[in-house]
Amino acid sequence: MNAASQSVQTTPAPWGRVRRGRYVADRVLRIICTLFTALGAFVLGWILLMLLYEGITALSPSIFVATTPGPGTKGGGIANALVGSLILTFLGIAVATPIGVMAGTYLAEYGKGSKLAEVIRFINDILLAAPSILIGLFVYTLMVRPMGGYSGWAGGVALAIIAVPVIVRTTEDMLRLVPGSLREAGAALGAPMSTVIRAITWRAARAGMVTGVLLATARIAGETAPLLFTALNNNFWFKPNLMGGVANLPVMIYQFALSPYENWRQLAWAGALVITLSILALSVVARLFLKKDKAR
Amino acid sequence: MNPVAVSASSAIGQIPADIASPVRIAVKNLNFYYSDFRSLKDISLDFHDRQVTALIGPSGCGKSTLLRTFNRIYSLYPEQRADGQILLDGQNILSNSIDVNELRARVGMVFQKPTPFPMSIYDNISFGIRLYEKLGKADLDVRVEEALRKAALWDEVKDKLRQSGMGLSGGQQQRLCIARTIAQKPEVILLDEPTSALDPISTGKIEELIEQLRTEFTIVIVTHNMQQAARISQFTAFMYLGELIEFGPTNKMFMTPNQKQTQDYITGRFG
Amino acid sequence: MVAVSQKQFMMSMDRPSRRSNQSGFDKIFRLASLGSALLVLIVLAGIIGSMIHGGLPALIEFGPSFITSSVWDVQRDQYGALVAIIGTLTTAVIALVIGVPISIGIAIFLTQLCPAWLRRPVSTTIELLAAVPSIIYGMWGLFVFAPLFAKFVQIPVSKIVEGLPVFGTILYSRVPSGVGVLTAGIILAIMIIPFIASVTRDILDQIPTILRESAYGIGCTTWEVVRHVLVPQAGVSIIGAVMLGLGRALGETMAVTFVIGNANRLSASLFDPGSTIASRIANEFNEAIGLQLNALMALGCILFLVTFAVLVLARLLVARVKTR
Repeated sequence: MNAASQSVQTTPAPWGRVRRGRYVADRVLRIICTLFTALGAFVLGWILLMLLYEGITALSPSIFVATTPGPGTKGGGIANALVGSLILTFLGIAVATPIGVMAGTYLAEYGKGSKLAEVIRFINDILLAAPSILIGLFVYTLMVRPMGGYSGWAGGVALAIIAVPVIVRTTEDMLRLVPGSLREAGAALGAPMSTVIRAITWRAARAGMVTGVLLATARIAGETAPLLFTALNNNFWFKPNLMGGVANLPVMIYQFALSPYENWRQLAWAGALVITLSILALSVVARLFLKKDKAR
Repeated sequence: MNPVAVSASSAIGQIPADIASPVRIAVKNLNFYYSDFRSLKDISLDFHDRQVTALIGPSGCGKSTLLRTFNRIYSLYPEQRADGQILLDGQNILSNSIDVNELRARVGMVFQKPTPFPMSIYDNISFGIRLYEKLGKADLDVRVEEALRKAALWDEVKDKLRQSGMGLSGGQQQRLCIARTIAQKPEVILLDEPTSALDPISTGKIEELIEQLRTEFTIVIVTHNMQQAARISQFTAFMYLGELIEFGPTNKMFMTPNQKQTQDYITGRFG
Repeated sequence: MVAVSQKQFMMSMDRPSRRSNQSGFDKIFRLASLGSALLVLIVLAGIIGSMIHGGLPALIEFGPSFITSSVWDVQRDQYGALVAIIGTLTTAVIALVIGVPISIGIAIFLTQLCPAWLRRPVSTTIELLAAVPSIIYGMWGLFVFAPLFAKFVQIPVSKIVEGLPVFGTILYSRVPSGVGVLTAGIILAIMIIPFIASVTRDILDQIPTILRESAYGIGCTTWEVVRHVLVPQAGVSIIGAVMLGLGRALGETMAVTFVIGNANRLSASLFDPGSTIASRIANEFNEAIGLQLNALMALGCILFLVTFAVLVLARLLVARVKTR
């Protein structure tokens, strides 16, 4: 047997049988994909560098104190728009967080597998990507017209409607990662479902849920379209009752950037830099937060 | 001490089941369904006060399912249901009028894998107590310590009660879960393969612990490990394909089983 | 027996008495969570309702000609949606034509070619690109990109194609200002690339490694693995990801408003200014009264229906790979 198998040794196939065309196609794919990625990184770099350059040129301590200038007025700042944006974003998140967390909890805990939950999940995903300007129109119809004017409240609600789907989605995803055995263990101690959810599941998913809220904040902080018809913008400090429009960075940037006044455009760049850096910082923090929790 | 309990623990299995100690849980014609699939068929058996009863059988035989009916943990899942009767001290716990949460405080459960909650060791124990009792800080401290001592964990964790329970080793986590359960002072403790995820040394500690807990609690344990059943239980129920094949004192079950299937399983011919 | 029952009695005394007054709160909590979830449905219904309510007068006034007419005349109170609809579709199609190959290229780079140390930074960069607010893209488009585009693309190309059939119309710029439909499409492409790229990357990541390895194992090159294994496996979901990007492109407002030129003119040239549904609403809504307001709402209604259909399709296609 041994002798036979040795004698019938086949001659090895020669190397280099692969058609050149296959390697050419492969090389082309690699080059194209790498180039596209480089292009994407290049455009991002370009946008950020431009923003840094223009923004830093326009930035000075005084613009954080002064309010936005009227037409033809020299100087001015972005203080009122900055504070207004903080108020609107805070309002939006304050409204959206409880609703989003509770709705996400329903989807992950109570509605598991039910038809209703499936429909809500589907609709939520659609709202997640719905054109934000339509949400502006909706809130205009819902609040601005009945209340007889623009208001910070309307702006806050419009932003909340954009934030809710983000929070619902992340809350549900994070709660689903909590092992079912933990819920069973809670229930086995005789804890009612609401206690199991609040004391155990939420706690286990806390980092992810906070990340969701941070991402939602980043998302709404730069939204312009939904504020156009709700909070509007003006050159004054907000009124204590938030009625009659609230100055805010995104709409201010939009209006000032397209204006004929040089100092307005400068302020638009300064505002754009401030808002972009805040949003990028928020997104990075949100990511780090989740990563740190995963490492634990 | 009461004479019956003493004799039961000193002469395991030699006393016929029906007079060993009073019946704590009586299962009568229990059927269980996952959606349309009937996974328990007409089960009837009794569990005795302050005795360890082991449920054994090949995987999928329904032993865990049976265990999960005693605290109705299955009712978390809408597609699962049970019919028949399970009498806990004479009261049918399958009836709708039973408050399942209160039932679960009376019938504690320890799971296959350790399930420490994402909170401190102290809070892991006090969580269950505070659900049903309003205690001051001092009383709570006493109860937490008592539970940890009974679970033979106190010496290992007394200096780090504020640290997360997730940081303990697997065996410690499982003893933490047992401590959490006994802290509530339940009447019955259900153990669902509590050592299957543990190393032999941790397993030994848990088995010793179960032996001690028997003086105070009625214990039902599901195990796939026959030696374990033989070591720690006074009664054994053998199940197969959703049916109860045989039930009796553990010694008798392992020495002279009545049923051929039981003998085959115990001697390792299938399973 | 007496002893036993006495012992039992003692034991039950020893056990804590249990309260169960938590069931009320339990019910409230459950209802609150159900209510919040239902709110999601109510918001969607509210958006549809407000669009229809606001747009109906215009739709009744103009009938089907609202969609087919290109007149948008505030003085004569005559409104037709054609220019905005065509502008919306054209910019979105341009965005897809440019954005999809680049996005898929990036996703393939990230999942198949990228060295491990580079993967995270590049992924994060792409995701951060998605977080940059759209007005920033608009400003960049208007102040940086448009002048360069006019100088290096519009003027030279117009010179070359002048007088040629077809190209002489599509790519001819009467006033090479840099803004216009093509510019808007390019900016949209840049904006949707991060979305499509990251979703596609996730889809490619979900394909089991063993499938890839077995393809490499019979001697496939990377191109062949992508072409014959990954794309057929993930194809439907990638189309879903593209639809997701399309949904974004159709509804994007601010960036487009900056660079499209906002003209209500039906022009065959991609270099000419135009408008989209979203840009027109953004521009006119605050000053609109009467029928104009209804017409804008009706535009919103059309935009909603189109994006809704696209997003439903996208979601169904993306979901396919997960259920398998």
